[in-house]
Amino acid sequence: MASTQVLKSRIRSVKNTKQITKAMQLVAASKMRRAQEATKASAPYTLAARELLTALSKHTSVARHPFFAKRTVKTRLLIVIASDKGLAGAYNSNIVKTYIEQLRIDDATKVKNTTIAIGRKTAQFVARIKDTQVLGVYENLPDQPDGRELHAILDSARLKFTSGEVDAVDIIYTHFVSSINQQARVLRVLPAGFKAADEPGVASDATYEPSTEEVLDGIAYRLVGAQIFQALLDARASEHSMRMLAMKNATDNASDLADDLTLEMNKARQGAITEELAEISGGVEALNE
Amino acid sequence: MHLTLTTLLGIKIDQVVYELIIPTAAGEIAVFPGHEPLVALAVAGAIAVRYKKTDDDSHLEYFAISGGIVEISQKAVRVLVDESDHGADIIEAESKAALERAIVLRNNAGTQLELEKAHQLVDRHSVRLKVAELHRRRRHL
Repeated sequence: MASTQVLKSRIRSVKNTKQITKAMQLVAASKMRRAQEATKASAPYTLAARELLTALSKHTSVARHPFFAKRTVKTRLLIVIASDKGLAGAYNSNIVKTYIEQLRIDDATKVKNTTIAIGRKTAQFVARIKDTQVLGVYENLPDQPDGRELHAILDSARLKFTSGEVDAVDIIYTHFVSSINQQARVLRVLPAGFKAADEPGVASDATYEPSTEEVLDGIAYRLVGAQIFQALLDARASEHSMRMLAMKNATDNASDLADDLTLEMNKARQGAITEELAEISGGVEALNE
Repeated sequence: MHLTLTTLLGIKIDQVVYELIIPTAAGEIAVFPGHEPLVALAVAGAIAVRYKKTDDDSHLEYFAISGGIVEISQKAVRVLVDESDHGADIIEAESKAALERAIVLRNNAGTQLELEKAHQLVDRHSVRLKVAELHRRRRHL
């Protein structure tokens, strides 16, 4: 049995770790709430873009826009979103697993691919593999993306797709279902899909300036941008949620460990006291004899 | 007419207004109730909102917007932009410093990509500075 001094030091260490994990859990919970709110707040933007596109589809052929052009996929661009930091449970490993699956599919179907890595963990992984060409790496994106970081990613994807260098653009990200359920997903953003809105809300006799084509270009760009932005926000909410859960488990484990060690220390201390008493009684006995 | 200003970060305005001045690809347009239905490309600039018919120019509220789409119907205006900030939320000194930094970046840009990014930054901070100035002047009217 370990000495009481050693056990005391271990208990102190475990309690310190517990304080850190508890603090990280609270920080992650607060960030998750903000990320969830941001996810909800961006929904009207996507809906408005869809409604405008629905109205526009009555005046011009939306499918003729380069963003909607469907081609046989020979090369595709994968935008992989993971985190900059670890300690978020299976968050990064789930994304890497999904990414490897996609690379295997491409390998089997003889599709070439290029990758945009978002987050240090993805960048570190992508740097180690040879199956893909790296188009860009984005690290240290803010906790609350404000849309500006989106443009560089969106412009890269748009240029590659419209120039015909890639035939599809997919995002691999973690979809936030609820605070206890997040799923790694593959979402095709280009060629863009278009689901008509129920109520376009735009007057049928509206004039389009400068032209329907230019307005369509502006809306299509924003619709695709909104999808990428939504994926970024979902990924952030999922990361904080998974970190919160991981830190809660770590805090619970630290509590259990501290309890076990305290029990062990009390036993050791009791043992030492019993031994000391036995020795004293033995000494007294010896003196009486 | 009802004005909705929607950005990637959420809805910034959702209320009844009397007049809206907005920069579009064809120039600035003023929108009043009963305007002809129109869908136009909005460009980066300042939008001005007059909430009531009786409000004078000192009550105009300014917002800096990035490019987007504006949709006008008889009774409503919907503006869809990536980014929008109220004049009161922009700190003039910060915008001025950011604009100066962006100009230095533009002058020192080595590649086409750096130049494009610097141009975007210059445009963004110019608009923000203009809106902050408009907001300050309005308070002194």
